[in-house]
Amino acid sequence: MTSANKSHGTASTFDDKLRQFIYAYFIREQQAPRVAEMPAALSCSLREVKDGLKRLAQSHAFVLQENGELWRAAPFSAVPTAFPVEIGKRLWWANCIWDALGIPAMLHKDARIPASCGCCNYEMVLNVKQGKLTGAKGVIHIAVPARRWYDDIVFT
Amino acid sequence: MLLFRSEHHVDRWCAQWNRSRGGILSLHQGWQLATEWYADRLSPSWRPKTVPEAQAAFAKIGLVEEFWKLA
Repeated sequence: MTSANKSHGTASTFDDKLRQFIYAYFIREQQAPRVAEMPAALSCSLREVKDGLKRLAQSHAFVLQENGELWRAAPFSAVPTAFPVEIGKRLWWANCIWDALGIPAMLHKDARIPASCGCCNYEMVLNVKQGKLTGAKGVIHIAVPARRWYDDIVFT
Repeated sequence: MLLFRSEHHVDRWCAQWNRSRGGILSLHQGWQLATEWYADRLSPSWRPKTVPEAQAAFAKIGLVEEFWKLA
């Protein structure tokens, strides 16, 4: 039995709470929670949080930095990227163009995505309005075949 | 996964980085894929897609070539 099992039921239940806490924090604060903030919010130990984050990272939806802090909770990025997403006066960072579209898809909100061409940085503003995508014309390029995406998720 | 003005700009980027061309999506497909992938992400019962579920999501928007095979 893991430490998460002892005080919070199954690890899966704990991981669900941790996952929902992280997403709620990202949505509310427009940034990632620090690992040190999580035990108090979830009434658990730091060890339980770290173990839970490692399990979430196995799903690939979450990626941790070398220091153990969150790097990605897809579609959100914990660090600024070339993929900002504006919803009203609020702004989040996405990991890639798929995730930039994923933020309004996940939040079911209209959004403005001030993106640019990966080749020449030409401005390409995309808009999501009432569930439809409008704005710049263009294409999305995925560099790595699907079965190798997680060999190097940053390059993908 | 980057956005480009056109396939010509994809080719320029690939040459610049000495990479072969990967998979191309229209923006419409990209939006459909984002919706398939993320619309239920905040559900308490959300679970990562299994390989067959992910493959079915790709197929639903026409991504059936070898490039999109997960296994």
